[in-house]
Amino acid sequence: MGSVVTYVGLSLVLFAIGAVGVCIRRNAIVVFMCIEMMLNAVNLAFVAFSKLQGNLDGQVAVFFVMVIAAAESAIGLAIIIALFRNLVSVETTDAAQLKW
Amino acid sequence: MGSGDLRLSLVVLAPALGALLSYVIGRRSPKLSGVIASGAVLVSFLCSVLLWQQVGATGSFTATLSSWISFGDVSLPLQLYFDKLSAVMCLVVTGVGFLIHLYSIGYMAHDESVARFFSYLNLFVAAMLVLVLGKSLPVIFIGWEGVGLCSYLLIGFWFANTEYAKAGRKAFVMNRIGDVGFIVAMAVLYTQCGTLDVVELGQGSVLSKLPAGLAFLAGLSLFVAATGKSAQIPLFTWLPDAMAGPTPVSALIHAATMVTAGIYLMGRMHGIVELDPAVPAIIMWVALVTSAIAALTALAQNDIKKVLAYSTVSQLGFMFLAVGAGQYAIALCHVVTHAFFKACLFLSAGSVIHGCHHEQDMRRMGGLAKAMPITAICYGVATLAIAGICPFAGYYSKHAILGAISGTTNPLLVAAAPFIGYAATAIAVCTAFYMARSFIMTFLGGYRGEGHPHEAPLVMTAPVGVLALLSVIGGFLLVHPITSFVTGPLPATAGEHGSEGFVSLLIGSLPGLFGIALAAYLFLVAPREKELLRRIFSPVEKLCGGKFYVDEILQVLVVTPCRKISGIAFRAVDQRIVEGSGSALGSVTQAVGELTCRITTGQVTTYVLLMFIAAAAFFSVFSQVR
Amino acid sequence: MSFMGFVLSAVAVASALGVVFNRNPLYSAFHLIVNLLAMAGVYSVLDAHFLAVTQVVVYAGAIMVLVLFVLMLLNLKAGSGRKLGIFRPLCAIAVACSVVTTVYPAVESNFKDLSLHELQEKAWRSEGTVKAVGEELYGRYVRQFELSSLVLLIGIVGAVTLSKRKEGKIGPREGGLGGGK
Repeated sequence: MGSVVTYVGLSLVLFAIGAVGVCIRRNAIVVFMCIEMMLNAVNLAFVAFSKLQGNLDGQVAVFFVMVIAAAESAIGLAIIIALFRNLVSVETTDAAQLKW
Repeated sequence: MGSGDLRLSLVVLAPALGALLSYVIGRRSPKLSGVIASGAVLVSFLCSVLLWQQVGATGSFTATLSSWISFGDVSLPLQLYFDKLSAVMCLVVTGVGFLIHLYSIGYMAHDESVARFFSYLNLFVAAMLVLVLGKSLPVIFIGWEGVGLCSYLLIGFWFANTEYAKAGRKAFVMNRIGDVGFIVAMAVLYTQCGTLDVVELGQGSVLSKLPAGLAFLAGLSLFVAATGKSAQIPLFTWLPDAMAGPTPVSALIHAATMVTAGIYLMGRMHGIVELDPAVPAIIMWVALVTSAIAALTALAQNDIKKVLAYSTVSQLGFMFLAVGAGQYAIALCHVVTHAFFKACLFLSAGSVIHGCHHEQDMRRMGGLAKAMPITAICYGVATLAIAGICPFAGYYSKHAILGAISGTTNPLLVAAAPFIGYAATAIAVCTAFYMARSFIMTFLGGYRGEGHPHEAPLVMTAPVGVLALLSVIGGFLLVHPITSFVTGPLPATAGEHGSEGFVSLLIGSLPGLFGIALAAYLFLVAPREKELLRRIFSPVEKLCGGKFYVDEILQVLVVTPCRKISGIAFRAVDQRIVEGSGSALGSVTQAVGELTCRITTGQVTTYVLLMFIAAAAFFSVFSQVR
Repeated sequence: MSFMGFVLSAVAVASALGVVFNRNPLYSAFHLIVNLLAMAGVYSVLDAHFLAVTQVVVYAGAIMVLVLFVLMLLNLKAGSGRKLGIFRPLCAIAVACSVVTTVYPAVESNFKDLSLHELQEKAWRSEGTVKAVGEELYGRYVRQFELSSLVLLIGIVGAVTLSKRKEGKIGPREGGLGGGK
């Protein structure tokens, strides 16, 4: 049925927007938020597929993604703070020591 | 064969493994390096002895290490072949090699890269054994190139000194010229005879397939190869320069073993060398001229190692005289005795250099007999041996060579044989003279250098002592057994031995005695006459001191034209085609690199974008597949 | 798609665009909160009630508070880093569009055979009440559930380690890019 699959489409659109955000934003905190958004988009896909497949495995997976996302946000924000402490900036373009 | 296979493989594999271990372990603990290397050669020596004891009964051993080249109906296994000829060479290489390894433990004790030294030395022994044991010419060629490589590495061992590094390069290039001869010979033999197996190439039915002109070409090519390795005219100037290497290297590679590879090759391939009588004749004349020039040059040298180097060239010429006369067994005998006394001389010289704080100029030595008596005795004994005084080792082999020259049956040489015999006798006088001169300048008189010379440690004197002993008894005990022992692989020796009375022994020793007496008179009793002689012969001395300008002649005749030709080739081929395509390749790579380095900005967002692009491409491909 | 679902989807997309294209990070964060709440609504429409609640509590609540807290803490001014050219946003948008347009048809074609009856049957079984999800979590997935607590613990330890200042060092570390400021 079309209407549930549409949510998968919504998930794709949100994921793509988040991906664009990761690519074009320079502020590490905004990049971080975009990543959260992408995770959410994936969660939505899980929920939609759960409904399409008729079982709760997808929703359980979402629960675990949320756990990981919580841990990831703690670590990620700590990294951003450490970055700021070293560079006095959270611009990803300033953190370019990975060059060559 | 059974057990022969394993032992024969072990003969080669032990030093090869030793080369690896002595470097890997020696880098951590340099003292172990020499022990490992010496042990490896000792194992090889013991295996050779075991095989040698059985080879008389069985005739030969063959060991197949692996298959090497195999396509179509061409099959070339990596095979080792142990017969009586290789037995003698093996015993010399591993026996003398072991003593020199032992000596090196003392000589190289204070060197920084002792592990590298022993690794190279072991690698050399392994390569030399492959050369001696190879069953087919390509396998021999592996060893041939291997010893050349090790020689290059060891001459340039102290490569921080540019002169030494250049000497190594010179040796390498000159050896390559000789290698061309080897390759040409292999090509001719393979196309005509269809085999490169040394045993099959010894059979008359195979050799009869060679047309006359090509037989000459094959024999001459083999001799060219031998001149490169064994330092004969015109490729001999690398050997004196090769003295840049550490002294044990000079003893092992550039006196006792590697330079005799040419003699071995001649002996191994004697069937081909003898096919055209012109080849032995050429060998004879080249050997005579080389021997004479080297002996005269040695008269005017002041560097103790240079004297020995020219003497080596001269003695190699003597061996080739025997080869030219068709008496390969006698040449082999001289290889063996020469290995004993020349290694002894070099190692004694090494002890002297070591004891005099790296002084090599004999004008700044003298009177060392008091400071280092053992070395003096050894050097003296070896001097008597090389001078050909009875009953020392050199006498037997040299005397046999002189006999062989007069007994030659080559139609092209019979007429000239007496002249060659007299010339060789004169060279023998010369040899005795310059060796006695070097002994007197080094060990007698008063000390003219600085500092206090000291005797070498036991680990160095012991091997020298053993070699000195062999120089005394080696000829007496070994020459006749060897000539009869190797009769299978080599043609039987003409002429009778062992029936000489006391008078003929004395007569045989006369050239040597005369040379020594002359040297003693000029340098000890009447220095004034020496000065007078020097003034009279100063042009000669200049010529001698300048090594007969062979290097300069080579420069004009060979190096300059080669430079010109290669210059033309460089401009036409290298700069246009090779370099052009190379720089095109380079600029493309650079352009790609600059393009990709734009991507590699270190910007995380760029990497993420690229990742997304890749993922998108991945998705689109897979959605198409469905 | 129900009316409610449509409205919530529209809000989600609009707020997502707001997150990406707002210059001020603070506004981006507020847009993200709206986005996450809209997503919670969508979960609810899809009968995932437990997840809808968790989404509000964990994401829109805890995580966004953390993000806002960091924003306040760092008190950022306008960006100092290198400007990104026009090429990169265009490229990114093009790639995003291509992903959506290639993947969505593939997914749709995979599920177009489902009949209405089948779907209703499945919808009944996939009703994500707290009880149903709880039974799954403490039943089949109990080991993973326990392990996730370990992940959280490690996350806590990692965050503390990373953000802890070195003894006696206040301000930017020497040698860093901003070290001289």
